[in-house]
Amino acid sequence: MLDYIGLAFTPLNILFALGGVAAGTIIGSIPGLTATMAVAVLVPITFSMDPASALILLGAIYTGAIYGGAYAAILLNTPGTPSAIATTFDGYPMAKRGDGDLAVSIACLSSLIGGLVGASALLFLAPPLARAALAFGPVEYFWLAIFGLTLISALSTGNVIKGLIGASFGLLLATIGISETSAEVRFTFGSNTLLGGIEIVSALIGLYCVPVLMDLVATSDRHLDKPEEARGFRLPEAFAAVMRNKVNVVRSSVIGTLVGALPGAGGSISGLVAYSEARRSGGGEEKYGEGNPGGIVATESANNATVGGGFIPTLVLGIPGTPPDAVILGALLVQGVRTGPTLFADGSNIVYTFVFGLFLATLLMLPVGLLIGRFAYGAIVQAPKMALVPVVAFMTVIGTFAIRNSMSDVGIMVVLGLIGWLAQRRGFDVSPIVLGLILGSIAEKGFVQGWTIGDAMGNVWGQFFGRPLAQVVIVLSVLSATYPAFPWARRQLRLRREAGPTATPPPIAGEPSSSRARAFDAVALAVFAAVGVVIVMQSGTLNAEAAVFPRTVAWTMLALIALASVRLFLLKRAAEPGSARGLVRVAVVPVAMLGAVALIPTLGFVTGGVALALVLMAAAFHPGEGGGRITASVIGVVTVVFLVTLAFRRLLNVPLPSGMIF
Amino acid sequence: MFRHTLAAIALGIAALPAAAQDFPTESVNYIIPFGPGGESDITARFQQPHFQELFDEDLVITYKPGGGGAVGWSQLNSLSADGSTIMGINLPHIIVKPKQGNVGFQTEDIVPVHMFHYTPDAIVVRADSEFETIDDLIAAAKENPRQVIFSGSGKGTANHLAQVRFDEMAEIDTTYVAFDGTGSSTTANLGGQVSAQWGYTTVGATQGDEVRLLAVAMEERHPLFPDVPTFAELGYDLVSGAYRGIAVPQDMPEEMRHAVADAIQQINDQDAFRQKMEENGFALLDVAYGEDMDAFMAEQAEVALEAARSGDVIE
Repeated sequence: MLDYIGLAFTPLNILFALGGVAAGTIIGSIPGLTATMAVAVLVPITFSMDPASALILLGAIYTGAIYGGAYAAILLNTPGTPSAIATTFDGYPMAKRGDGDLAVSIACLSSLIGGLVGASALLFLAPPLARAALAFGPVEYFWLAIFGLTLISALSTGNVIKGLIGASFGLLLATIGISETSAEVRFTFGSNTLLGGIEIVSALIGLYCVPVLMDLVATSDRHLDKPEEARGFRLPEAFAAVMRNKVNVVRSSVIGTLVGALPGAGGSISGLVAYSEARRSGGGEEKYGEGNPGGIVATESANNATVGGGFIPTLVLGIPGTPPDAVILGALLVQGVRTGPTLFADGSNIVYTFVFGLFLATLLMLPVGLLIGRFAYGAIVQAPKMALVPVVAFMTVIGTFAIRNSMSDVGIMVVLGLIGWLAQRRGFDVSPIVLGLILGSIAEKGFVQGWTIGDAMGNVWGQFFGRPLAQVVIVLSVLSATYPAFPWARRQLRLRREAGPTATPPPIAGEPSSSRARAFDAVALAVFAAVGVVIVMQSGTLNAEAAVFPRTVAWTMLALIALASVRLFLLKRAAEPGSARGLVRVAVVPVAMLGAVALIPTLGFVTGGVALALVLMAAAFHPGEGGGRITASVIGVVTVVFLVTLAFRRLLNVPLPSGMIF
Repeated sequence: MFRHTLAAIALGIAALPAAAQDFPTESVNYIIPFGPGGESDITARFQQPHFQELFDEDLVITYKPGGGGAVGWSQLNSLSADGSTIMGINLPHIIVKPKQGNVGFQTEDIVPVHMFHYTPDAIVVRADSEFETIDDLIAAAKENPRQVIFSGSGKGTANHLAQVRFDEMAEIDTTYVAFDGTGSSTTANLGGQVSAQWGYTTVGATQGDEVRLLAVAMEERHPLFPDVPTFAELGYDLVSGAYRGIAVPQDMPEEMRHAVADAIQQINDQDAFRQKMEENGFALLDVAYGEDMDAFMAEQAEVALEAARSGDVIE
């Protein structure tokens, strides 16, 4: 086996691994450019290479892209890839308080460890793990999705009911479009725009990034706190933080590997599950969700472990573990390499060369990732707002377009961003909505398939609750859903023991909310209720298979809304209205972006992009904040728009509309 | 009947002497209306190097996924018809989908110019399955109605319609569980979540000794599986699968449609291409634009729509 190290580590392959990691990291850091796309773009280039080098290059790009997703998550609160969703939970708060550089270094170290664990599992445990993963049936995937949803109870500590309403909304969003498994057109209201459903990455960009942009233009406050002096990589601090999370990093890497080996799950879920487990078991100096490095450690080690883990079913079973694996599998077939059961059995050298190449790429990620991370951090911290806002907005537009080469997706992205911003102001976090959206299709498929099988066997109950593996996931879900209440329960017990039976329950703290806040909350609930009613009514026209999931979710949502209304009208509690500063500027962001969506097909991407950028520069311009740099900013922003468009057209082959002008 | 001879194509070319020069004259954008990594993508990737070699122009593969292909197909006719853009199409998708609701296109809107291969339907069982032959499976299904459970890719798809048709032919009642692709349907079969799989010959090519094909829905046996009978040999008139081809925007002139069909046929005529396709479990098809295509589409539509109706996929 060691002979293959020599085969893998040729100078040419090392060069490929280095270039692949660097390219992947850059691509992954741009919201919208996912690992899948990074790999797909490079496939034709690999045709002229020998298979082992081709695989090493593709694996390196994949590894880099998954890590690169952390930058935007930490620095812009926008997961660059779905795998990095949970990185935002603690990464962005860290960046906000000026520790963005530290967060990026922690992400790099954690990704390195996770990547090594995943690759080791691929090397030593691939065939048995692949067999074990097959035990996961539709019902287990259903419960795994439910397990992911239980994270909501932890994420929305302020108001669990609102979190659950948001999650239901996300689950319903996931059902829009043509259903793959029931062959029904659902909730498109006759519009071709919604035919393809809501693409997850573009929804992530809209829900996370657009609200950040809207808040950015509102005030002249800095985006992130800027350190007084250059501090280098802060590697010792990052290393110490990872060491404090020893158990966490190992557990998360193992979770990432195992979830990666499940062909129906993938990186986004592994990161969420690892985060949820870290949060449940973690004490730590800071609270999770408020900038605890443990959150970054968990997510980033898990998602990079998923790279190696995902290759397990890909290479052993010939069934892709994650979407990028599907592309790599296709590239292998073109190369004439047949994956599947015989590949490992033959001890085929290409597998081992590839696995060692993956180790190499993971190790190279440390220097490459730290350097690029340093640059990304510097660029975002240094950039004046009037340059940062238009560039990021333009990147979200072009990145969203590139996912499915679709302008409709860009429109959906902006509208979701607006919804996300409004919902946040009413105390509905976007994260539960996103969780619902991501897990919705997995939950629905698992549910309908499990139901069909159970129904045919005459034992639906046994199918859902009787299988041992399902029971394990159910128990984990119950634990995960209820643990936020544990400290409270313990406190109650202790109070009762100490004070005896005479203790009176503590009065409910706080004053009732203002009537204005309550009116706003009532409107928000009414809107969600309207959505629920529409779904229930529309479900009546669908076949039973297509209707059961959305109808159940919609009724649940209506029940939750009823509960929330009781809380609102009896307890008079509501989310206080957010700051009303700069609302006109705030409104410019979605309006300008929607305007760009409308104009780009006729004007062309460069012209439309420049127009968008200039409008947003004006919106983000606050007198006093670097006023002397206006000309430089305009030139810089226009250059970036031009170069990025060129790179997307020429290097990534994205068919951007060029319209009448450019 | 749709198996086609080269002579017919040669005749077609002879009738249109200028056609060969019309396409390709520039780099061609080949849109796959699915995500990367699927069978449409893989076969396009197989074509890509031959296209470049034969015509000295680039074939650029891009993706427009969404709605199981509907997003791409609904936009096909708004694309440039000057020979710079072609799009992958799949049967029975483009026949069944428009009947399921408003999916933004009608079957008649699509101009297919060449169907170059198909993945034949096949019944796939695990190597350790109790079903050694198709008769074992039929006997089990007769004994326990609905309890023989198949995994398959999607509803209203080639796999599903094959299940519906075979149930009728063999007078059995089985259960079909739709998965979101061949990969997850294979996983379910390998993991023993279902009794068998309505899959494709390609599943047999990937899984090797882990699985056994009980029968393939082809006119003749697949060269990769000389021991697996066709359904026809066993007395069931079932030739079906997912058929893939190339369509062009409606506004493309007749001569150029022929030229595109001719280019695709030239790739199909490459021995290296045929060999690579067959090694991976695909079955080649040479149905080019013209009367053959019209007859082929009409026959496919008739069969698919009838099966879709009895499978309650459409009204």
